[in-house]
Amino acid sequence: MAARPSLLAAWTGNRRREAGLLFPNLRRDVAFPLAGAVVLFVAFVGAGLLYTVVVEGASAEKLITAMFIDAIMVIGIQIYVGNTGVFSFGHIGFGAVAGYAFALFAIAPEDKHTRIPNAPWGLADVEMGPLPATAVALGITLLVAVIVGIGLGRSGARSGSVAATVITLALLFFTHEVAASWNELTGGERAGLTFGIGDTLQTRTPIYIVLLASIVMALLFARSSIGRLNQAAREDNLAARAMGINPVVQQTIALLLSVAVVSVAASLRVYEIGSLLPEFFFFQYTLLTLVMLVVGGRNGVTGALLGVGVITAVRESARRLGSDGYEIFGLGLDGPLDWVFREGLPTVLLGLAMVVFMIWRPNGVLDDWEVDAWLWRRFIRQKPPAAARAAPEPDTLDLSASGVTVEFGGFRALDGASIEVSNREIVGLIGPNGAGKTTLVNVMTGMVDPTTGDVHLGEMGLTSEPSHAIARAGLVRTFQNLRLFSSLTVRENVEVAALMASVHRNGGTRADIDAIVAGAGLWEQRNRRAGQLDYGNSRRLELARAAAAAPAFLLLDEPTSGMSDTESLAMVESVRSMAAAVGAGVLVIDHDLNFITGICDRVYCLDQGRMIAIGTPDEVQADAAVKAAYLGEAAQPGKDPT
Amino acid sequence: MTELVQNLIDGLGRGSIYALLALGVAVVFGVMHLLNFAHGELITVSGYAAYAAFSNGWSWYLVAPLIVVVSVVTNLVIERVAFSRVRGSSDFTQLLTSFGIHFLVAAIFLMYIGARVQTFAEPGWIADTYSIGPIRVEVFDTVVIIVTFVTLLLTAAVLQRTMFGLSIRAAAADFDAARLMGVNSDRVIRGAFALSGALAGIAGIFWLMRAGHTSPTSGINPMLNGVLAALIGGLGSLKGAVIGGLALGLAEVMLRTWLPGTAAALTQGVVFSLIALLFIFRPGGLVNVAHAERV
Repeated sequence: MAARPSLLAAWTGNRRREAGLLFPNLRRDVAFPLAGAVVLFVAFVGAGLLYTVVVEGASAEKLITAMFIDAIMVIGIQIYVGNTGVFSFGHIGFGAVAGYAFALFAIAPEDKHTRIPNAPWGLADVEMGPLPATAVALGITLLVAVIVGIGLGRSGARSGSVAATVITLALLFFTHEVAASWNELTGGERAGLTFGIGDTLQTRTPIYIVLLASIVMALLFARSSIGRLNQAAREDNLAARAMGINPVVQQTIALLLSVAVVSVAASLRVYEIGSLLPEFFFFQYTLLTLVMLVVGGRNGVTGALLGVGVITAVRESARRLGSDGYEIFGLGLDGPLDWVFREGLPTVLLGLAMVVFMIWRPNGVLDDWEVDAWLWRRFIRQKPPAAARAAPEPDTLDLSASGVTVEFGGFRALDGASIEVSNREIVGLIGPNGAGKTTLVNVMTGMVDPTTGDVHLGEMGLTSEPSHAIARAGLVRTFQNLRLFSSLTVRENVEVAALMASVHRNGGTRADIDAIVAGAGLWEQRNRRAGQLDYGNSRRLELARAAAAAPAFLLLDEPTSGMSDTESLAMVESVRSMAAAVGAGVLVIDHDLNFITGICDRVYCLDQGRMIAIGTPDEVQADAAVKAAYLGEAAQPGKDPT
Repeated sequence: MTELVQNLIDGLGRGSIYALLALGVAVVFGVMHLLNFAHGELITVSGYAAYAAFSNGWSWYLVAPLIVVVSVVTNLVIERVAFSRVRGSSDFTQLLTSFGIHFLVAAIFLMYIGARVQTFAEPGWIADTYSIGPIRVEVFDTVVIIVTFVTLLLTAAVLQRTMFGLSIRAAAADFDAARLMGVNSDRVIRGAFALSGALAGIAGIFWLMRAGHTSPTSGINPMLNGVLAALIGGLGSLKGAVIGGLALGLAEVMLRTWLPGTAAALTQGVVFSLIALLFIFRPGGLVNVAHAERV
């Protein structure tokens, strides 16, 4: 094939080297989130303080203090649940660990001697200030989080995974049972632990500091490359792995950060209340924090804070209306609607809010709307990028699969199939339905383990490597059934792939995301969610995303499936230019013979798991065995002849 | 040896109830991929129905069928009002819906009847025992084991011999394929909820007989045990749910006997942790139903 310039190298050659950088764009990913965090902090705290001015009294002050602490807790949970999509019951369990650790270290020895004189490890005699106690509690909780994180990773936690629910639920129950029954340590289920009078939190200053810090951390994390990789895996775990992301590593980082915030929030909560019972960190508080999280929108920090505010307001109103002596517009415990306004109403409303929001608005009021992203879109004008320039071609590289056999039970999907592709060519793989085409691609990308056979990329063996390692080695695929990160924007889809490439491919340089987006004809749509694209654009985005991962080889599984003839023809150009742009070889599976002959240098034909023909498109079309394989099918009316 | 046999019988009695609950959880999980945290509320609701019936002078012979009927109707109402609206949503959404219902039902009873524990008379024979050699057996355990066995046989017959059972088994084996074959019809899902409610009802009779009271939060323990047992069995597998229930009952009784002093109070926590470990090393549960993702 003719020399193919690698535009990628040119795009990246004159750019600042940004390999492994946590924040790809300092203005968008650091400056704006910091500004956004200040806006959120001022708005949230301002609203709370306004309430204490309007409604005076100690109980209003206490309510608002509790709301600020709940906000820290909910933001802590949001960092994990929002970014990873893994559902955790266990964060309040981490809170329990931190709360007890804090109380055990921070309560004065004389107070401990009355409650838990026989505490193990001489804990009753430990004297420590609240600040070091918070630090110790943080350390202990993080240690637990590491263990739980390893377990979650081992179980292959992902969005919607039952294993994650069970493991985190187990943590919640285990901590609760220990707290309720290890009387020498925790004071037991009824008595609990208590601070001496006057020893509790007297000022809101530490709460403000921690709240601001946690908002900053949550926003920065969401914008960091780790946050973005987590969000990609949340949207589609399999596609993320095919992109080179190892979700387990990213999720564990999210978990540790999240637990750190939760741990400090728990210490503050215990310090503020001044006592600790097992039930403080159990189901009821789990329900409260989860409702706060989902009502506003679990995928954003703004949503989380909104939820905390709204639920606090609703709960307080319900509590007042349901207790003696309060009424609004004649409604209250003794009013005409006394069947509504009575004790227990707050919990009913929490349960109701959960069910109603799950049914009608599972992503909450704000979904993932975020103040810094809004400011960025609103005030920063973006110009379409200049066209990319040509660059030297990469070294020659061969991708080969040899003698691949795959058996599913007794069924032999592949029977000693071999294929060889160089990164200078575009190779087609055709065959009747059920011939084993997708299975071969699945073997090459580590999604199916072969019974026998080897896959090599240059000198490197890829057989049975995990998907993400294969993607990092330079083999990136698309999927027959589209797998986009549907609630990320078009640009973010491409950006995630480019991020992976920046760390693991091409010597640590980063592709020009905007040029790739524009090159795919998606510039106008760059800020739309991928899930909102029409079919043709979705296909183009999947191709652009794969190209942005800077692959040595693109494996395209039926890129024109479901497309009209005109669209298929346009796809020929797209595939050619994308492959040329990144200097990648292409292996394409398709049914559409026009498309295959229009695009391929060579064609392999697979039938019943065996390679039956190799050659130029014309040679293969003329091959007797190929004809027989297809005629066998074509003889039945209504079957696609290719 | 005597102690072991004694424990085995105790564990089987306890485990039978868990097995019925777990089977109900697994049947629903099979047809709509919902891990139902509201399952225990069937026992809360039928507990209050039983309390009302006893207040009107009903006997256990009338109350027992009432419990089953109330449980079935409640499950159908919950399905109609809430779960039918989140069908096909993400697992996250469905899970939180059931979590919300769990609290909602409890809170409604708290609001209108009060937090007070409502007691009713246990049947006279509940504490009776008889001896086989050196082993003392409770009449109650015997009844539970026999009724559970018969219920399981009947359920198996329904699942094996009827069209409805076939659709449910197909859905449990491969949810997506069954849905493509048209199994995801209202009738099968409602049928699954009715079956699940009936199983919970039978479990509820024994649960309430043993407890002799009901309160707004009395759904939490049956829910946890049912869900845990179903999880041990691998959720999708109906056989696994039964095995999981029996295993959970036995494990509870054994741990209670073997764990020393303070740790004995931690029985449930230890069982929980064991299950978490099981999930870490075998994410599919004891009876592995691997779900390969299609690409």
